[in-house]
Amino acid sequence: MHPGLEHYLILSALIFSFGVYGLLTRRNLVAMLLCVELVLNAAALNFVAFHRFLFKGDPAGTVFPILIIAVAAAEAAVALAIVIALFRHRRNLDVRAADTLRG
Amino acid sequence: METFAFWMIAAYTLFAAYFVVTARNLFRCAVGLAATLIGIAGLYLLMDAQFLSSIQIAVYVGGVVVLVVFAVLMVEDVTQKEFLRSPLSRCLLASVVAELLLAIVGGTMLSQGFGPDRPPQASAQVREIGHALLSTGPGGFVLPFEVISLVLVAALVGAITVAGKPGDDFTKGEED
Repeated sequence: MHPGLEHYLILSALIFSFGVYGLLTRRNLVAMLLCVELVLNAAALNFVAFHRFLFKGDPAGTVFPILIIAVAAAEAAVALAIVIALFRHRRNLDVRAADTLRG
Repeated sequence: METFAFWMIAAYTLFAAYFVVTARNLFRCAVGLAATLIGIAGLYLLMDAQFLSSIQIAVYVGGVVVLVVFAVLMVEDVTQKEFLRSPLSRCLLASVVAELLLAIVGGTMLSQGFGPDRPPQASAQVREIGHALLSTGPGGFVLPFEVISLVLVAALVGAITVAGKPGDDFTKGEED
């Protein structure tokens, strides 16, 4: 069967739901960050699929994934800095243990 | 040929994504994420978006994943340690939530009826992307472009500040 728009959309929905599942079950901060990257990639894949199959010649569909990649890079830098600071203070990356700010 | 490539890359990407979510070792998770990102870059190539594909490899696989691997190697002995497992009830609840989301998203997409036999069209190439990123007219993205550069600078400064030791003073130069 020739791959159409639906195939790409379903594939990206599957990757998205894997990311959500991982985000809910992981207890390690870095592993949760990796699952967020999965979710962001699923969104970018959707943009490119719509660009390819529905909007001919409109470059917005490829500009948004570039912005998504830039935001993901910024997010990874900040999150890993937080990981290093957290590890320096607690020697532990379990998110259930880091609940000092919980009201 | 394109059909075969799509199904192979899709199966590979899904398997790698599943590996990211279920691997018991942080380093293996990072390697699985790299594999997933390379698979998605392959899908971009299939969709005729060569520029995005190369950006994906360069920034994601070459930058973000390497950063993650460095952080992982710095903070714990990943080769030995396995993570704490969430309780089974939580895993079941999470899988129900994920499947519900998948059903909602997939159902919405399939019920829209985008037209299954719509032919693929030419993707924007580097020239159009560059013009779109820097044009100020309608359909231009110069404001998001500038904002994203500001975000990157702020993230860089914030990361250095957060990760540095509390006593460090980054405002002093090295000259004295």
